[in-house]
Amino acid sequence: MSAIKWSIIVLIVIATSCLLAFGPRADESLPKNRVVIDYWEKWTGNEEAQMRVIVNDFNNTVGAQKGIFVRYVSSSTINQKTLVATAAGVPPDIAGLFDVNLVQFAAMGALEPLEDLARQHGITASYYKPVYWKGCNYNGHLWGLVSTPTVVALFYNKRILHENAAALRAAGLDPDRAPRSIDELDRYARVLTIQGSNGRVIRAGFLPMEPNWYVNYICYWFGGNFWDARSKRFTLTSPPVVKAYDWIQSYATWLGKDAMSDFRSGVGNFDSPQNAFLAGQVVMEMQGTFLANFIYNRKRSMSTVLWPRDVEMKKPAGERLRNYEWAVAPFPSAVPGLKDVAYCGFDVLAIPRGSKHKKEAFEFIAYVNRQDVMEKLNKMHCKNSPLAKVSEDFLNNHPNPYIRVFERLANSPNAQTAPQIPIMPEVVDELNALSQRISLLQVRPAKALAELQVRLQAQYDEFARQQRARGSTAY
Amino acid sequence: MRTETKNLFKGLGFISPWLIGFCAFTLIPISMSLYYSFCNYSLLQKPVFIGLDNYRELIHDPNFWTVNFNTLLYAVLALPAGLLIALALALLLNVKIRGQSVYRTLIFLPSLVPAVAAAMLWLWLFNSKLGLVNFVLRGLGMTDPPGWLTDAHWALPSLVLISFWGVGNTVVIFLAGLQDVPTELFEAADLDGAGRFQTLRHVTLPSISPVIFFNLIMGIIGTLQVFVLPFIMTQGGPGRATYLYTEYMYDNAFGYLKMGYCSAMAWLQLLVILGLTAIAFWSSKRWVHYQGK
Repeated sequence: MSAIKWSIIVLIVIATSCLLAFGPRADESLPKNRVVIDYWEKWTGNEEAQMRVIVNDFNNTVGAQKGIFVRYVSSSTINQKTLVATAAGVPPDIAGLFDVNLVQFAAMGALEPLEDLARQHGITASYYKPVYWKGCNYNGHLWGLVSTPTVVALFYNKRILHENAAALRAAGLDPDRAPRSIDELDRYARVLTIQGSNGRVIRAGFLPMEPNWYVNYICYWFGGNFWDARSKRFTLTSPPVVKAYDWIQSYATWLGKDAMSDFRSGVGNFDSPQNAFLAGQVVMEMQGTFLANFIYNRKRSMSTVLWPRDVEMKKPAGERLRNYEWAVAPFPSAVPGLKDVAYCGFDVLAIPRGSKHKKEAFEFIAYVNRQDVMEKLNKMHCKNSPLAKVSEDFLNNHPNPYIRVFERLANSPNAQTAPQIPIMPEVVDELNALSQRISLLQVRPAKALAELQVRLQAQYDEFARQQRARGSTAY
Repeated sequence: MRTETKNLFKGLGFISPWLIGFCAFTLIPISMSLYYSFCNYSLLQKPVFIGLDNYRELIHDPNFWTVNFNTLLYAVLALPAGLLIALALALLLNVKIRGQSVYRTLIFLPSLVPAVAAAMLWLWLFNSKLGLVNFVLRGLGMTDPPGWLTDAHWALPSLVLISFWGVGNTVVIFLAGLQDVPTELFEAADLDGAGRFQTLRHVTLPSISPVIFFNLIMGIIGTLQVFVLPFIMTQGGPGRATYLYTEYMYDNAFGYLKMGYCSAMAWLQLLVILGLTAIAFWSSKRWVHYQGK
């Protein structure tokens, strides 16, 4: 054999030996004599780290007592990874899903029902705020429990309102409070919006599409919904839904579609100082509880007007509000008398079908749902609590000083989650595309909604037919 | 056992790692996807045979026609222009000048940038308010430059422009083809008094026609399957202006859990690509010249 061949063989042997000697090892940090639970979560960054605190707490306390160890893996697009792993028969024991995926997965039999385990742990409807409990139940079963919820409200910049007090008063508006109706919101927006000579929007008082995260649920504030759960029919052509989309389009008509596109393209990332609300480019916006954390992290001056955070936290709850350049109010309704309307979203912990440690997995879910743990997690995440009982400490020491507004909204009879539709991801994509086309003035809302109604209803009917053909009695 | 049979088994034994891999990860999945295209299949439930229903549904699906139109438009714009730009660059890089290898490296370098990094870079460059592209256009006196990725009319052309960023690979292949052209042909053309354009038209292009043909085939496959950049940069928006075929397939598979429907789309895509490739092969008899034939 030639010298070259020998050299190659020796190199391969050396490389293999090195790999065996110094290469990757099985995770030796896993404690022996404990059941290891795999928990997959979707968060990255701060939110991932904050949940890790809870996982570590569990592993060091309840987990240690009961012989359970949670192995926490956080990764994006967790719903797709859970889907593939579940189909392959090797799912995680716990999956942190989005609310819109819960019903989709449940409808296809990808999740374990949890009502019996929940009952054994004393988690029943009365333990939860109704809106979130309803969101976790579908077709008579409980499919998951909330980890972190949110409620949306109107965030507004008090400083900009005060700077424009004279103009607002001249328009018959009060600069010391938020708008209380959609009509008033539009009037505030008109006063606060600044357009350049070329029509460019320099500052927007309000834009329905900035951010556009909740635009699909705006019909709630118009007294409607795009889905009727009883008849299992879409109601996209109902007057409140059409009015909601007409309202979205009215901003494009007023400001010009190009000006709106141009403005939105200049807005920075949500988690950056260039966030439109933080940069003062948008004065009022629909947003969730957690925005307070992002403001504090990315533009601290807006949340420390008088004192640093540690000093502020020693002040009475009411006085804390003076430390903020921004404030929160319920997003105004278009329907007179319809108050405290809210969209409630949530992240959910579920047990995929085929989990090998269902009972142990639920121990962790139940631990997260303990009031003290839930409040700790949601204070870190700067979100509200999904539980019926909320401690004074949570309300007084929450990083969002307006947490009482959010708690009130979440308890409101007019609070709603996303409709429970098994084809919801498709519905969301269609509605997102529709709102974009409406904002670009490409279509008239009534006509586009009528077309979408037919299409989505056909999709749902086909889904239901297929499920019936598979023997389901729920459709 | 006969020697031939022995050799056959020996050969099969040697290629068995590839054979097993090919069967497990290519042949069986492709065959299964053909079967699933005739099924209602969510991945989470057992497939149910529904005949041609998925294909029938595709015909009535407006999104299917939208993504077909967008993808074909993208291919029609990106493929010929991309080939022309790559060929032009290759011709320039083939000229013997000082620093030739530096220029070649510079042209090839962008194709080494990971797609996600390139997408983030171009998102900023094409930002209508803060982006460098519009900054330059404003500097040149354009008062109202395009909104690029946020403008429904400009979003798809923007993606086409971005696709030229990665022509480096094609340039390298063209360059290899150009260097393979026998110098005697150029000398003969020179002796016959041919000008630069005539040499290009009658010597260079026919000589590298197999390379052009190869790049055309690869281009057809690549442009009809484009996914990463639009997926990251526009998510199909604004208003579905950049919603392309492969992205809709991905949404159906992993978003809507319609694996059967997605499989039907995949097979139609394969048929279209096969058809276009066949047309290209058929037409190649007229314009592709192989040396020695």
